[in-house]
Amino acid sequence: MKLGTKLTLFNTISKLVIVILFVLLLPTLIRDINQHYTDNWLRKQKEKVLKIVKGPGIKNYIQNGESYGSYNALLKEEYVSLDVESGAGNIDTILNEKRLVEGDTIEYRILSHTFKVDKQKYLLEIGKSIDTINETTTPLQNIALEVLLGMVLLTILADQVYATYVLRPLGLIIKTKLIGHKFPHHTPYKKVRTTTSDFEYLDISIHKMIETIENTFQKEREFISNASHELMTPISILQSKIENMFEREDIIDEVKVRLLEMQKILNRLKSITKTLLLISQIENEQFLKEDKISVDLLIHEVYDEISIRLQDKNINCEINIPHDWFLVKVNKFLLFNLFFNLINNAIKYNKEGGEIKITGVLQNKLLAVEITDSGIGISSEQLPHIFNRFKKFSQSLQQDSFGLGLPIVKSIADFHRIKIEVKSEPGSGSTFKIIFPDGVIRA
Amino acid sequence: MNVLIVEDEKGLTAELEIFLANCNYICETCFDGTSASEKIATNLYDFILIDLGLPDYEGLDLLKEAKKYNPEAACIILTARAEVYDRIKGLDLGADDYLAKPFSLLELQSRMQAIILRKFGLKNSVVLLGDFLIDLTNRTISHGETLINTITKKEFDLIAYMILHKNRTLTRSQLSEHIWGSIVNDDYDSNYIDAHIKNIRKKLNAFAPPDWLETVRGLGYRININN
Repeated sequence: MKLGTKLTLFNTISKLVIVILFVLLLPTLIRDINQHYTDNWLRKQKEKVLKIVKGPGIKNYIQNGESYGSYNALLKEEYVSLDVESGAGNIDTILNEKRLVEGDTIEYRILSHTFKVDKQKYLLEIGKSIDTINETTTPLQNIALEVLLGMVLLTILADQVYATYVLRPLGLIIKTKLIGHKFPHHTPYKKVRTTTSDFEYLDISIHKMIETIENTFQKEREFISNASHELMTPISILQSKIENMFEREDIIDEVKVRLLEMQKILNRLKSITKTLLLISQIENEQFLKEDKISVDLLIHEVYDEISIRLQDKNINCEINIPHDWFLVKVNKFLLFNLFFNLINNAIKYNKEGGEIKITGVLQNKLLAVEITDSGIGISSEQLPHIFNRFKKFSQSLQQDSFGLGLPIVKSIADFHRIKIEVKSEPGSGSTFKIIFPDGVIRA
Repeated sequence: MNVLIVEDEKGLTAELEIFLANCNYICETCFDGTSASEKIATNLYDFILIDLGLPDYEGLDLLKEAKKYNPEAACIILTARAEVYDRIKGLDLGADDYLAKPFSLLELQSRMQAIILRKFGLKNSVVLLGDFLIDLTNRTISHGETLINTITKKEFDLIAYMILHKNRTLTRSQLSEHIWGSIVNDDYDSNYIDAHIKNIRKKLNAFAPPDWLETVRGLGYRININN
């Protein structure tokens, strides 16, 4: 999951949890606040009543021991009552209690207070109906919820916008410096604009690392290229010397056979050097990709070159490629070598009288050529290493190859963005699937 | 024919000189660009072999000078710098051919022969071998009135190469370098030449025994032409 998404998700969830908690607590909170307010109000009323009672005298309200009561008439939301209290002890409480008022049982918040006037104890009760108190609770709760939700949405939005803004350089670093980064990579360093020092540090570090890796790559490539070039001249001199000696009349046949052996060894050296040079030239992108060729024609050209080897081992080769498949913007020389090496391997590692099938297939809308042989196959431990330079597996074949056939194939494939998939069953054969990228092949 | 060899590797220059002298060319050598430039400006040559990697001179500049003062000369570029761009640039500037080091001396000779054929339009490109008539220009082999059409392109290449280097034993390496030289693969000991020769013999035997195609035991093959 992306960092930005994670941050937004966390923000949203944490805020929602807080809001839900708050909303759940809201009824209790509001009730408490209301009660507190009501109690205060009741106490103020009490003070007022006591003042009134002190002024004109209690006798105005209580005559002949009859209690006094006052309600606001219709809804009975509040009431005040004064009565003679006979019980011992003082009462000064605020409680929720039910009262029967004119036939209706109504729950009130009631302040009870006893006081003495002229040695007579009186009980004052001031009540406010609970329903009235609660009436304000629901709208308050609703308003609070709406305001809160609105604020939460606003902050989430603000967070999102800010996170996107702050994380943009990171996205840019990932997009331009890491995703799809291929070696060699010749584009110069482009600073990602950011005011966040962490990102700046990350950007510079990545750049330095890439630079180091590229320098090493470059040095290795230069070394291979220079070494191969430098080897060409001495090989050339040796080859000429052997060839000239071979022509001399005064040299006996026995020496000539020796010269021939030298020539063979020199050829081996020459092949290795030439192959390394080719690989380094491909990796240095010294080849143009400007050819357009029919796949079928190319494979048949390879077939013509290689048919003598098929005959020699009595191998049947079947080619089945649609005539209208064309490769565009490729290097024909390199692709010829790619197919030559793959088909040559299919012959080399095949059984006497074996079979090779070269078929054009469609894989996930991409065109591919499959080369299947009935040869000795590759074991699953060897499979990941077959494209490594100088890796050889089959001991019996050590005499005529040096393990650079597949590395050439790999370099050429990479140069053309061709993907190669290998499947193999030891003992029954291998399949190499050459998958062409979009735009290189046209059907 | 006069040949100027411009090559800073003295060992290679010496071998080129021996080989070309054996092929009846008159050779002059120089090991640096400055003296080569002088020679090119004063003498006339039929062939100029130029190594692109000279220590004191840009090989391609030498090629330009050669085209200016020796327009008749055929220039062959010899180089270890086998880069494609050099190749294109060299041929653009009028080099007649291009040989990447290391090359076989026989390959050099065959390229020079091809240039001679092209430049001077030599008529005798038809060779009589036993009962077979081989036309190197039109690339055909015929027996009497019959045109033999079973011979493949590769097989004809082999025959033509051996005719060019007639009466000389060609090793399998030399032959395979000629016909498979441009392919880069990891086989260095190709015995497929034997298979090709076997095929050629079989196909020609249907008409007459090709006695002129000789196997030199342990060494290679040769075509004998006595004249």
